This record gives sequence, structure tokens and C-alpha cells, in this order.
Amino acid sequence: MTSPPEWTTRIEEWRSDAAALSYEEALQAVDLLLADLQSDTVPLADLQKQVVHGEIYLDHCDALLKAVEANVVNLDPDSLQPVPESTTDDA
Amino acid sequence: MLTGVLHTADLSADRIPTFSVAELNSAIGNLLERGFAPRFLLEATVSRPQLKKGHLWMSLSDGDASISAVVWASQLRQIRFRPEDGDGVTVVGKLNFWAARANLTVQVLDIRPSLTTVMREFERVRRLLEDEEVIQPERARSLPQRPRTVAVLTSVPSSALADMLRTARERWPLTRLLVVPIPVQGAVNERIETVLNHLAEQADTLALDALVLARGGGSREDLAVFDSENLCRELARCPVPVVTGLGHEDDLTVADLVADHRAATPTAAIVVLLPDRHTELQGLRQRQKRLQDWVQTRLIRERQRLVERRYAFAQQSPLLRLERLRQSLNQRRTLLSALSPDRWLQRGLAFVRNQATGEAIVSSHQAKSGDKLDVHLKDGVLQTRVDWVEPKPPSPKS
Repeated sequence: MTSPPEWTTRIEEWRSDAAALSYEEALQAVDLLLADLQSDTVPLADLQKQVVHGEIYLDHCDALLKAVEANVVNLDPDSLQPVPESTTDDA
Repeated sequence: MLTGVLHTADLSADRIPTFSVAELNSAIGNLLERGFAPRFLLEATVSRPQLKKGHLWMSLSDGDASISAVVWASQLRQIRFRPEDGDGVTVVGKLNFWAARANLTVQVLDIRPSLTTVMREFERVRRLLEDEEVIQPERARSLPQRPRTVAVLTSVPSSALADMLRTARERWPLTRLLVVPIPVQGAVNERIETVLNHLAEQADTLALDALVLARGGGSREDLAVFDSENLCRELARCPVPVVTGLGHEDDLTVADLVADHRAATPTAAIVVLLPDRHTELQGLRQRQKRLQDWVQTRLIRERQRLVERRYAFAQQSPLLRLERLRQSLNQRRTLLSALSPDRWLQRGLAFVRNQATGEAIVSSHQAKSGDKLDVHLKDGVLQTRVDWVEPKPPSPKS
């Protein structure tokens, strides 16, 4: 059984790992965890860990979807290099 | 107005002006200059267009009347549309009057194809590209489920772009939108082709997942640029799926036919390309529930397994096994009893045995006179001697 300090450290590691994932990668990680759970290959003692791990991925997906600002880059049509914003306002 | 002048002149012979030809022509010129619209739109059909010394001369007619027109060489360089004989056109023009010969000509400032001409060109390019299998609806690529980077080619700034950005922000902020400004008014097909070509070359570098070609509103004639053969060929070469959102819902251009998906409007192009985050959030909630549910399901299943094992273990206890053995013995005892010959003796039959040999007598041939036999009955044995043997005569059938 994992002791509380180790458990806390583990959760922090999972959060850190999840933060580096894209939405699709995090979603895939959740689906893999679900598949493991459904195949009964996860030892009973690890069930709660799996769930916490999955929740961390889902929280990450959630946070990404709740972003308010879209990532818009204006490109120069000739060089296709980014140009300063200001030309995308409503006409 | 000219009529008015003559009418006034008729009233008084003293006031009839006298002109030289040059003066008359000059007066007409002045009148036209003062009294006619400086610019006007003219709907007409082009006939006999021909270049002379760099200027494009033509006749404009509507069947009942005609007038000569010219596009001066300096203006011609800025106009991309080259009318052919019989083309319907809309001309932005002004009157040119040459006083020397009283010659009146429409000076063409801009000339655009009319709807008839636009649709004829649309049909021509469509047939050509269909024949060459550049237009192949059955080979349209599927759109990425969650595109990470999308190039948006449209006019900047424009209402269409503002609508698309707002829709993208609401639906799926995770997609990076690369806004590439293009001109969408007039004969700008070559410019758009160049931009498309640049994007195709750098699609990998930019990590493009899809491309949106959009233009808001306007008339069908304004969309004629998207019927351009070369532009459509460039669009077909695009290495990533293309979504068009050009004009209104009813407008169809060749670019729409070449694209992998045609959306009715620029906003619709974003809607079809980007997933809806509210739907996606529901999907996340469902996964979360499944995550929790599966733990419960697993625990219930494990408990069930435990119960089954406990039952199996109980089945192996010594007392139960002894009881099962006893039951088995009793069953055999009952069976043996059922098969015993005592059942026939109880019903009045007898069992005969040779006293000397112990052999069971089942046939008259086994006994002879003088043999001693034991006849077993249900309640005792009779010791007897055979006086004579009389075999049963054989039956006629045997």
C-alpha cells in the first residue's frame, strides 16, 4: 500500500505529466485506463489509483476545453510568417 | 435638356443660335459634360472586341441599340476580365465625346461579366475539371476529427472572418487558426493561387490539418473568381482537406465542387470543421462516470466471486462428503434389491438347482431320472427326485 507522502508525490507527478499532453493525448490516456479497468487486469489494490489517474487526465481535458481565447495567428500571405495582430478585427 | 434648348429657340427666331460645326460640336460636348452622369453602370452584350494599339475596342449592345466602347490601355492593365464576343457584361463607364467628329464612345473604367457569362464560365470549367477528374466527389477526403491547426484564407478585415473567429472561439479554442489574408474582390484569382501554392508547400512546416477558403456575401458575379480554372486546380492539389464557405447558401462555385467539403457560409465552414466543446464536455462527463462505475462494477464482481468460492469451499467439508457417500451406497442398495431373484420367488415362481452339482436347472435337458433337485420357494426348499423327464415337443414352427 502506498503511504500518504508517496501517494501525494505520485499524484503531483501524474498532474505534471498530464499538463504536457494535448487534448487528444490526454483523452487517449483516459480511454486506455478505462480499457484496463474493463478487462479486470487492474489489481483491486490499484483500482482507486487508476481512477485518480483518470480523473487527472479528465481534469486536464476539461481545463483545455474551458480556455476562453482561441489561438489565432495572422500570417503574411507571401512569407507565411506571423504578423502582428490588429488586422483581424471586424470590418 | 438639348430638346429644351431647341424648344426655347423655336419660340423666338431672333434667339436661334448660329454655330460653326466646331462650335456646335463643342457646345454638344459642353452640354454632355454638364448634363450627363459622370459615371454610370451599363448592362450590355459585347460584340467584336479587338485590341488596337493596346486599347480594347468593342461594341456594346442590348439587341435594340448599340454604342462603341473602349478600354484605354492604361485602364486595361488593371482589369483582369477579358470579354469575349457575345459575353454579357456590366460596365462602369463614362461618356467620351470627341468634338472634332461629334463621336460618342463609352470609356470603360471597369468591366465585369454578367451573371449569364459567369454561369457559362462556371459550366465550362466544371465540365473540364470533371472530365479531367479534378472534381471527384467520391474521393473527397474526410475532415480531421479535432484539427490542431487550420489555415483560414479570407479577406482581412471582414465580417466573415470576425464571424469565423467568434464561432471558432465558442466551439473549439484548442485549434490554432492561421489567418492568411487574400483579396476576394475582382479578378484576384492569380493572387489566391499564389497564396494557395505557398500554403501547399509549407503545409508540413505549419502542421496544417485543414484549410478553409471563405468569402462572405456578395453577388454570384463577385464569386466568379472561385470559378477560375487555375485556382481550382491549385485547390485540388492542396495536401490537406479543404473546406469552402463562399457567399450565400445558394451560391455554388467550381471551388466548392473541388473542395473536400462545401459549407454554405464561412461560419458553417468553421462549424463543420471544429468539434463542439459542449458536446465534448458531455463526453468527458460520460468517461468520468464510466471510470467511477467500473470501479463499482469490479467490486461487485469480485464480491460475487468471493461468494462463489466460499460456496465451493463449503462443498468440500468432510461431513458433506460422508453424507454424499452414504446416499450413493443407499442408491446402490436399492438397485441391487430391485434386481434380486427374490422378487420372482415372492410372486410364486421357484428356482431349481441340481443338488449334486449346484447347477441352476433352466431346461429339461439338464436333468435325468434319478437326479436330486432342490426347489427353492419364497419360504423354503423342497428336496425332490426326478422320476422321469418329458421334454416339451418341438413346436411346428421351429
